[in-house]
Order: sequence, then structure tokens, then C-alpha cells
Amino acid sequence: MKCVLLAHSPLVEAAPSGLNICSHKYTKVRSEAPVLPRLATFRQAMPKALHIDPADYAKPGALAFPAVPVRTYARSLSEERKRRGDRTLRDVLRQMMVVREFESMLGAFKAKGAYQDIAYSYKGPAHLSIGQEAAAVGQALALQPGDHIFGSHRSHGEFIAKGLAAISRLAPDELTRIMAAHQGGALLRTVEKNLPSNSTEGLAENFLLLGLLAEIFMRANGFNAGMGGSMHAFFPPFGVYPNNAIVGASAGIATGAALWKKLSGDGGIAVANSGDGSTGCGPVWEAMNFAAMAQFCTLWDDGKKGAPPILFFFNNNFYAMGGQTIGETMGWDRLSRIAAAANPEAMHAETVDGGDPLAVADAVERKREILLRGDGPALLDVECYRSGGHSTTDANVYRSKEELAAWQAHDPIATFRAKLVEAGILTISDAEAMQEAARAQIRAVTAAAVDPSISPIVDIRAQPTLIGRLMFSNEQIAPPAGEAALLKAPEETARARQDAKKSRFGLTPEGEKLSPMRAITLRDALFEAILHHMRHDERLIAYGEECREWGGAFGVYRGLAEIMPYHRLFNSPISEAAIVATAVGYALEGGRALIELMYGDFIGRAGDEIFNQMAKWRAMSGGALKLPIVLRCSVGSKYGAQHSQDWSALVAHIPGLKVAYPATPYDAKGLLASALSSEDPVVFFESQRLYDVVEQFKPGGVPADYYRLPLGEPDVKRQGTDLTILTIGPSLYPALAAADALAAQSISVELIDARSLVPFNYEPVLNSLRKTGRILLVSEASERGGFAMTLAANIARFAFASLKAPPRVLGAPNWIVPGAEMETTYFPQIEDIVDAAMLEFFPERKAERRGIRNWNDLELARAGL
Amino acid sequence: MDVPIVMPQLGNEIEEAQVDEWLKAVGDEVGVGEPVLTITTPKLTMEIEAPASGRLKEIKVAAEELAAVDAVLGVIETE
Ligand SMILES: Cc1ncc(C[n+]2csc(CCOP(=O)(O)OP(=O)(O)O)c2C)c(N)n1
Repeated sequence: MKCVLLAHSPLVEAAPSGLNICSHKYTKVRSEAPVLPRLATFRQAMPKALHIDPADYAKPGALAFPAVPVRTYARSLSEERKRRGDRTLRDVLRQMMVVREFESMLGAFKAKGAYQDIAYSYKGPAHLSIGQEAAAVGQALALQPGDHIFGSHRSHGEFIAKGLAAISRLAPDELTRIMAAHQGGALLRTVEKNLPSNSTEGLAENFLLLGLLAEIFMRANGFNAGMGGSMHAFFPPFGVYPNNAIVGASAGIATGAALWKKLSGDGGIAVANSGDGSTGCGPVWEAMNFAAMAQFCTLWDDGKKGAPPILFFFNNNFYAMGGQTIGETMGWDRLSRIAAAANPEAMHAETVDGGDPLAVADAVERKREILLRGDGPALLDVECYRSGGHSTTDANVYRSKEELAAWQAHDPIATFRAKLVEAGILTISDAEAMQEAARAQIRAVTAAAVDPSISPIVDIRAQPTLIGRLMFSNEQIAPPAGEAALLKAPEETARARQDAKKSRFGLTPEGEKLSPMRAITLRDALFEAILHHMRHDERLIAYGEECREWGGAFGVYRGLAEIMPYHRLFNSPISEAAIVATAVGYALEGGRALIELMYGDFIGRAGDEIFNQMAKWRAMSGGALKLPIVLRCSVGSKYGAQHSQDWSALVAHIPGLKVAYPATPYDAKGLLASALSSEDPVVFFESQRLYDVVEQFKPGGVPADYYRLPLGEPDVKRQGTDLTILTIGPSLYPALAAADALAAQSISVELIDARSLVPFNYEPVLNSLRKTGRILLVSEASERGGFAMTLAANIARFAFASLKAPPRVLGAPNWIVPGAEMETTYFPQIEDIVDAAMLEFFPERKAERRGIRNWNDLELARAGL
Repeated sequence: MDVPIVMPQLGNEIEEAQVDEWLKAVGDEVGVGEPVLTITTPKLTMEIEAPASGRLKEIKVAAEELAAVDAVLGVIETE
């Protein structure tokens, strides 16, 4: 197989000076092997490139922080006129008016059920940005259509401003092409018919406003087919990417988008818009640190050096609902101070006057240049004031009249308008006409959005499974066949030579198990699927904690660091939220991500990112976005209560995630290949106890060539007639031994491995039950709410007529996982499975209990314990 | 005096590992703590350092061969 070889990255040379990118980030890179202290007689063979010299850290001193500029914008209006032209300045005013009118319309519907002469009852959320228009329009003025913004619950203004700015920059042909491509041109036709304009630009503005408002009203012709709504609406062709109802969630997603922009060469920057309150969110800090990782400068190959181009743009309106960030809920005095924590450049942070669109534009323009140079990330603290409520149910009890009045005097629209009038850029009557035009435009758009004959409601009665069909694309990419740039031919690595000598099957002809050094293990099988995708698909990147030199916490990636350059395989910070959120951003931009959580128990650290982001964006985009992400989670053992839990049910419960949990090398390779080919997000569980298992079921062993096994198909591992045992994950092995023990008592077991949890084809299980009439489900998850319980409940429904006894679930008890010494008392063991089978299904045999589970689990279950 | 280089215990469940590569040839001088060979377990690749200074007298397990934990992989002859 041909492979493109990259020159070895210059890890052992000192960082070059005088380079633009990263020149400020000099870090000592080892130039010769250091003399290491003798800690042991052996050490890992792939030492880090960066040498940590105690002498460097022993010197006393003091840390200095860069000065963070606060409101230093001082350009005169006459200079701005020269730079931007009067037409642009007038348009800035007009755009702010359009934003305010749009928000006022929603506010009027919420407050009075009417706007101008239009009556409408709008049921959804309205987090309005009245008072914050200069931040949105100033930002958009500095951005190009290819720059991507990600926002918050309060992002209508940013959406409109970015859209208007893109429309003013795109050529009419391009605008027409974009509009015609959306929804097969349906929205464009609606706009042409109901909101005509004599210019393409005018038509595109109406298209933008109607697409957004119809989406807010959850109509079928909304930009996201009515599946997003006020807080989630977006429209990528104008650079408006998902807004997010979870405070701060866009920070990580936008960072992943910036990584895609950097790696794909798509150009432009990503902007994470959020409020000052989001500086209290852990995932925002994780995202900023991820974006500031030094390795982009110290370790990545020359062609890929530089930070992802991400701007963290805080719309700092001094409040998070009723909490005041300054003086009450946060410790910072000026928001931009937080940037000092991220890196020595303090993220080039600045505090700017968010009441002045030109001050904002100036700052964004300067940050954008820094970002495009690879010297990011950047942070802007944009101070502004929300003159309306947090939402329309806000009684404003937390603010004084005096404070509101004081800020009224700084209203961005009134201030900017007065400035332009004073400079003679427009007359008062021009300004009034402009305001009238904005009112008329929003009125016309609103009339079209409320009218169900123009903007049809999403008719779930007529299409009851419409939303269900949006959950998954169920698409797969063709087997990857490209040739990615590699550091070394995979065949030349020690691992490849070693694995090549291994037996593909794990048993000797006499039925003896081979050692993991002599036969392909589950770990090796996973590696083969990963290597195939990585070497043939440049879009795929893999990262997580300890993925590089360590080879993944459990060695699945061992050897991959010799093959893959840093930008394809890298160590992430200990930031589970950022790992998943960046993968979401990277994938929805067009990339593919393979990420790893060391332990499934760390899912909690990335809860929002897995449950609300990775799982939801396909459906919330009305099926427009794809999320090709594989999240590998190992399921631990031996480390006790916080490192040994099977949480597969938690993930399977969340709509929008596919879930696999293979137990054999053959299944692991084929299922991982399918997961990596999937256009839908897959959570892939791997038992740490199984990494060393060799193939014992497939007589031909694990094929060396690439193959896929479909997600969602349970597999009959052994045929039988008296009892079906359905296992999830590693329970397959004790169940197999139990089946042998039961055979000795002339009970013939049919053994089925679930392999996947979502989707799950019940047919093989139901077929089996037609023979056996009895089913025992075994898993290592605690029983209450476990996935085996879901399976059992469904099986009782589907197979009622075939059942001779109720389905029985044997899981772990609903208490903490004890330490290694007590684990066998917790996870179902061979004897426990035999006991459950004998006592539950064959009581007439009067078997003696062999295991230690001598507690009344039925009574506990009846008490819900 | 002959000092054996042994396959270390690399974890509870690991019974054998592979010798990947000898970094020294028979007859080479080695200093204590200097890497003499690399080994691989199912999970990791590691360097094994010389337990004593002297001359590599003998290689008992060749590259790409498997050896059990505690097996003698080679011998160093000290002065
Ligand atoms: C994770 C999370 N916690 C709480 C909320 C409820 N909530 C919605 S907006 C908001 C305040 C956010 O304040 P800030 O980030 O300053 O933005 P602003 O509303 O001022 O624009 C809160 C607490 C949420 N949506 N998400």
C-alpha cells in the first residue's frame, strides 16, 4: 500500500525565532537525550520531546501579566468615514434598527399578543438583545461570510447582523445560489411571492428574516425546519452556526469548528458568542484552555503550526439573569481579566465599549488578524447593557430605575444615530425614514411568518414520526480509500511487525487459549479498524487524554504516534467537556472525530456535551447537520466506585446517540469500523477487562482485512434449546462458562451477545425465545434503570406468548462498585449466573446456591432499592 | 561477575512480553542505567536499562522473540 511520508517533525530543534506564528511561544524543545534520574530499571520507550529542566523552575522571581487594554478605542468618526465610507456607517445604523425592531416585535407578542396590527400568540422563549445591538452589528461588520459564529440563548441579534453583513458582501449570483439551494428553493419561492424586492440583496434580507422568524415560531419553512427555534436557530451559508440554549456551550463547539478551519484550510475564524454569566461555566474555561494549548506551537508540524482561530466574544451585559457578575457571582472586576489565566499572552484580551459598533468592529478586526496568523486564541469583553428583561417573564426586580435610566443615556442606537446626524452623514428625517423602513420590513416579514398558509406549521399529526426520522441519518461513508500523509509506513512499526506474527484466532487446535502476545486481542482489533480509517481519511482526527506517547490509557493506540502527525493524533488536556464539545464543532463543520474518555465514569464531566450537543444537533438542525463522532469510553474495573461503572444505559437513554458495546475481537473490529463510517454519533464502550481477550468464537479468527459489522445486530454466540442468556459487554465470558456448567446439568443454553444497545434488533432474541421460552439477561451495570431492564421489558411485550417464565435480569446491585478485592461479590460471576438460571427457571431441580449473592434481591427490587 | 538482565514484572496479569530490539550487541560496553533493549507488552513499549556496568556478554532471547516474566534476557559481565 502506498503512503505519503512526511518529513519527521522537527521536534528536536529549538523553536525557530523570528517566525510570525507562535514566535512568542518559545518553549524548550529537547535537543539531545537528557540524563534522566534512575527511577526504575525500565521506562517507557517514547519519551516526550519537551524536556523539563528543574533548573528552569528553581529560580525565584515574579510572574508578570500583560496589560489588558480597557476601552482604548479612540478613532475619530472622520477617520472611520474614510475607512469605511458613509454608506457603511449608515448601514450599521440601519442594521441595529432592524435588530431592535425584530426583538421589539417578539417582545410585543410576548407582552401583548400583538405587534403593530398583527395579533399572534407566541409560546416559545424570547431572550431579547434590546440594548446590545452595537455588539452584534459591530462584530458582524468585522467578519467575512466564511467566518462562523456560534451563539447563545440571546443570539437573534448576532444572527441577523451576521446575515445582513454576509448579504452585503456576497455577490448577487452567490446569494441566489445559496437561497435556491436551501430546502430545494422552497423558502426562496415563498419570499419571492410574499416578500418581493427589486434587488437580490433586498430579497436575501427578507429571506434571512423570514427564515429566522419562521424558525422561532417553529414553522416548517424555518431555517431548521422548525426543529431548532429561538435559542438554536442557525443558517451556515451566511456563517451563522448553531446557537445554544445551554449557557457557554458554544465555547467548546466553536473551538472545534476553529480546529476544522485550521486543519482543512477552509479559512476564516470561528466566534463563540456568550454572556458574562458563562464565565462561571467550567466548559467555557476548558474551551479557552483547549484553544490555548501550547502544543499547537511547540509540537505540531510546521505546516500545521498555530492555534485554532477562535474568538471568545463575551456580550457582557453585567447580568446573568438576576445575578450580577461584577461584585456578586464572579471574582473578576473586568471580564477580560480571566484571559490572564489561559496563556502568557492573556489571549490578547481587551475590554471594549459594546455600546459603540465601531469600537467593537475595530477590536474584532484586530483580533481576527491575530487569529488568522495562528496566534490565537483571542478574547473580547464587550460591555453592553440589556435594557429589557432577561426573558419576557422578567419583572426586573433586581435593577433600580436609576440604573436603567443611566444606561438609557448610553443607548447604542440613539447614540450612534446622533453621532451620524451631527457629522452630517444623515439627516434626522433620513434616520426617521430608516426607522420606518425597518418597521415596515419587520412588519411584512412578521405577517408572512404568522400566516400558516405562507409559513406552514410542522404538522406532526400528518407525519407522526417526522421527528423520529430526523434523529439519525443512518448513512455511512464509503470505505475510506484516500492516502493520508503519514510519518512512517504503518507496516514499519514494531506493533505492526508484532501483530503480523500473531495468530488471528485465539484458540489452539486443542482449544487452549493463546496468550495476548500470541494472538490478536480485542485491543489489536480496535487498533486495526482505527488505523485503517486514520490512514485512509485525512478528515479523521483522534484525540483524548494520553492518546499519543502513552498510546491511549489502555494501549489501544500503541504505535499510532509513530505513524500519525500531531494534528491527527494528540493529547488533550484533562477536559472531558472540551474533548467532546470540540469534536461536535469539528464534526458539524465537515470533519470526523474519534475521541476517547479514559473511563466511562467520566461521562459526567462531559454530560452536557454528550447528552445535549453530540446527541441533538442532527435533529435540531432539521436533519441538515451530520455528526460523525465516535466517542470511545472504556469501562473500568479494579479502581472502585468511581472507575468501574457501566453507564451504557445512561447514554442509551438519550435520544440521538448510537451505542455499541462489543465483547469479542471480531465484533470489536467490525463494529468500530461501522462506527467510524457512521454519519451519526456513536458511543463505543470497551471493557478494560476485555482488552487482552483473544478471539474464541469466530473459527477463522479476526480477518486481517477491513470489514464492517452492522450496528444494532445481536449475535448468537452459541446455540441452545432450554434457556436464552442475553449478555451485554463482558458478561459474555462468565455466561459462556455458566453455559458449560449448565450443560453439565443437561440444560442447553443459547447464548446471545447484545453487541449494540442502540439500535437493537430484537428479532434474533425473539427467535431464540421461540425455542427456549426462557431468558436471563446479564450485564455488569447496576440493575435499576440498566439497559438490560429495558431489553427485558420489551422482550416481555414482544415474546409474551413464547415465555414460560418472566424475563430475569441479573446485573450488579444498586450500590457502589467496591474495590478490586470485593469485585467478584459485585459483578455477576459464573456461579451467580448458574444460580439465577437454576433457581429462577428450573426450581424443580432444587439446586443449591453456589454463589455468594445470598440476599433477597426481589425484596430490594420491590422497595426500589 | 555475571549480572542477568531479566524480564520485569509489568503488571499483575501480564505473563510474557516480546523482546523488540537489542540496542547493544554482544561485546558492547554498557553503563548502569543505559538502555540495552526494548520490550513490548500488549499495552506498552518500554526500554530496559542495564542493571550493572560492564560488557554485554550474552543475548539469551533474540529480537522479536517472546519471553516470560522473570526470564533471563541477557547477561552483563562486570569487571
Ligand atoms: C448550563 C445552564 N445553566 C443555566 C441556564 C439557565 N440560564 C439561561 S440564561 C442564564 C443567564 C446567562 O447569563 P449570561 O451568560 O450573562 O447571558 P445573558 O443572559 O446575560 O445574555 C441562565 C442562568 C442554562 N440555560 N444553561
